[in-house]
Amino acid sequence: MSISNLAIAALLIVALSTASGCRKHAETTKADPLLAAYDSEPDWNDSTKMISLGYQQSQGKRVFYQYCVWCHADSTPAGPSNRSNLTPVPPLLDDGSTLNSESDEYLENMITLGGSAMGKSAMMPPYGRALSAEEIRSVIAFTRAIAEPPYQPAGRPGSQYSTR
Amino acid sequence: MRAEEMGKVTDRMRLLLAVSSLIFLAVLAISPFKDYRREWKQYKRSYLGFAQSRPDTKRLTADYTPDIDQIWLPGMNVVDRCTTCHQGITQPSLADNSVPQPFRAHPPIPHNVREWGCTICHRGQGPATEVAEAHTSTLAWEQPVLPTHFIQASCGTCHQSDLPQTPQLARGRQLLAELNCQGCHKMQGIERPAMLGPDLSSIGTKVSREWIYKWLKEPRTIVDKDGNVTVNGYETEEEPRMPKFRLTETELRALTAYLGVQKAKSIAPYRISPAVVVAWSKNPELISQGELRFRQMFCTTCHPLAVTRAGETKLIGGDIGPELTKVGSKVNPDWLIAWLRDPQAYLPHTRMPRYGWSDDDLYKVTQYITTKLVDSDLLSDVPKLDPPTDEEIQLGRRLFVEKGCASCHVLEGLNPQRDFGPDLSALGGKNASELEFGTAKVPHNLVAYIQAKLQDPVSVNPAARMPQYNWNQVDRDAVTTALLSMKGPPPTSALQNLVVPLKEPSFRATGSFADLYERYKCYTCHKFNGYGGNLAPDLSYEGSRAERQWLVGFLKSPETLRPTLILRMPQFNMSDKDATTLADYISTVLLHPAVNPATTDAKQFTPAMATLGKQLYEVKFQCQSCHTIGGSGGYVGPNLTNAGGWLTPAWIAAWLRNPQELVPDSIEPRRNFTNQEITALTAYLMTLRARIKPKRTAFHTGALALRLGAGR
Repeated sequence: MSISNLAIAALLIVALSTASGCRKHAETTKADPLLAAYDSEPDWNDSTKMISLGYQQSQGKRVFYQYCVWCHADSTPAGPSNRSNLTPVPPLLDDGSTLNSESDEYLENMITLGGSAMGKSAMMPPYGRALSAEEIRSVIAFTRAIAEPPYQPAGRPGSQYSTR
Repeated sequence: MRAEEMGKVTDRMRLLLAVSSLIFLAVLAISPFKDYRREWKQYKRSYLGFAQSRPDTKRLTADYTPDIDQIWLPGMNVVDRCTTCHQGITQPSLADNSVPQPFRAHPPIPHNVREWGCTICHRGQGPATEVAEAHTSTLAWEQPVLPTHFIQASCGTCHQSDLPQTPQLARGRQLLAELNCQGCHKMQGIERPAMLGPDLSSIGTKVSREWIYKWLKEPRTIVDKDGNVTVNGYETEEEPRMPKFRLTETELRALTAYLGVQKAKSIAPYRISPAVVVAWSKNPELISQGELRFRQMFCTTCHPLAVTRAGETKLIGGDIGPELTKVGSKVNPDWLIAWLRDPQAYLPHTRMPRYGWSDDDLYKVTQYITTKLVDSDLLSDVPKLDPPTDEEIQLGRRLFVEKGCASCHVLEGLNPQRDFGPDLSALGGKNASELEFGTAKVPHNLVAYIQAKLQDPVSVNPAARMPQYNWNQVDRDAVTTALLSMKGPPPTSALQNLVVPLKEPSFRATGSFADLYERYKCYTCHKFNGYGGNLAPDLSYEGSRAERQWLVGFLKSPETLRPTLILRMPQFNMSDKDATTLADYISTVLLHPAVNPATTDAKQFTPAMATLGKQLYEVKFQCQSCHTIGGSGGYVGPNLTNAGGWLTPAWIAAWLRNPQELVPDSIEPRRNFTNQEITALTAYLMTLRARIKPKRTAFHTGALALRLGAGR
């Protein structure tokens, strides 16, 4: 029986090596979280922490730093902020405890129509004719990305904005 | 074996035949089994399973086929099978991060995935049907997927003009131009700027050989933690222009010897009127008065200065001109006076404006600079340099050419070398095997190569002639992005049609305005029809915006309209004639077609209209949240205390109707005002006439203003 055993073993080896030889091994690179991000923003409360932003969120960041930063942050590209100048004091954009409970639609209307149309302070002007709907949605996506505490879409399966 | 046993089929042989037949069948079955198990087929099947778990299964599987999906765009050289696995790429309901890859939808972008495919932006191997083949670098395909962090490079491959959506790319291109990279390298879409490094033809009249030695050794201003500014000169750590060359002691001595004797144009010392010198030289107020004038003229709008306050040293001021903290120890005092009086006589291409100086101001300011902006220790660590020998000068001249100095600096009698460094116009499309990595321990891919080369050029090639630039991570990534965008000319004519050409700004100043425009270098900070700097407001339509009389007053004595601004218009000490000429030109030529002065007549405004306007301003629209009138209001928009004296009524009305039509990137929201509201608000604003009292100057606020438009 020794010859047949040998033959079987040899055939098996041939079959296995053929099968495994077909499998190509390509080198894979390790994923760097920052390299996967379109842009990033330092956490407002802890500048050592970076928040990765996707395309939409980074467009929101751009719009924010051009239009909104003056009243919705404590420091601005020009130095002093206008925030302390206003009554009622506008929320900081990363203020999750205030903004997380508001729906995407509410924030969209707030930016588009302004404060007076939403029964809030008229100091918040309407941006619906200066910004496109896409830009307004991107600002909300940015708001959700930097929220502290983090934003969790509250059981709304269809929420357009993802968390970080 | 005996004869009768030949041909006799034994049990052993039967068994052997049976087993080998079975194995043969099994081997045959491997092929269809492997085909069934293909990666893309597995993703196809698991997508079906995934779609079943979603509420909108029907929509998700509407165009499902069990075969390979392909986006084929013959005109664009695109054969993308990416959607074979990324099946939900255009399904809006799969946008959430909780959707597992590869099924997640693409985030919203300006381009339609079905129309453009994937590989134009993301690179990788479009026709591949295996994960590794499609995404990574393999033996047969060395264009892996571009890391998303640098994805703006792909926008730049077609969009040669800057887009607002790609700030990283724009910054990278700006750095490539500002650092004059095209002085040595051929690059795509970046033009050689008019302003290169300083002309060194007469550098020997400006600084000492010792200073040049120190500068060449460490050409950066470093403010250490104790607030000591190590080297004074042109560069700050954030905005390095002059790179660091790795020079030996011999090379340093030779180059300084050569540069130290460059005195093509000798300076004639200017004699300040003896009466002024006598009146001031014994006055204890001399230096503080000089400092006051220095600040009033707003030299710091362009020049940074290290300022120590509460133990913390910061560089304050703009980054257009050289840093001046220790300039008094750098330059020859006679040169300084000659320079201040007429900078273009020394450097024809300098952006420094020609101020109008009285002897009084000139004496005070130069005394302040040479007394206060000094450091007696500045050159203490420079070895003693003997008078230059002929050999040193000859070697210096040779080194000046060999090191590539002539690519950025003009020196009389030396021509810049063409194509001194490698051609980079197709760098972004290079394969890793075309790059030289040397012994560098970096991953062998294009992105890592560019980053390593930018960080330290000799790390990948010990013989590199490229000097070392000092950039932060953000700027290095930006330059990497800009370099990755340069993939050379498009391979097919259809792709060439996709390239969005660079917009060519054009503005030609004419007449006597042109002379003043050049003298005061208006374009260094202001834009005119797309041409010029972005530090100060765009003046393309200033004639429609501002009253002529206001312009004359402003040019003679600029006041601040925006309280948060720290970099302000310098005081040029303009004559009445110059201010009038500029204002006349602005008011007749720089006009906006949408602002028609005939449509808004200020004479028709009644006090009732103004009262209604005031009420609208304060109650209905609460404009005071952003604008200041008098002592109260916000800092976001310009101060309106003198709106009536400053703005034309036609501009105010047109502005209220649609601010973005007049200034496309204005942050003023466009509102839906009625015509009556516009008239009332205009009438109210026209009643506001008052001189704005100058606020405290930049130095007292302590904050460092960034350029307008930073963070966009």
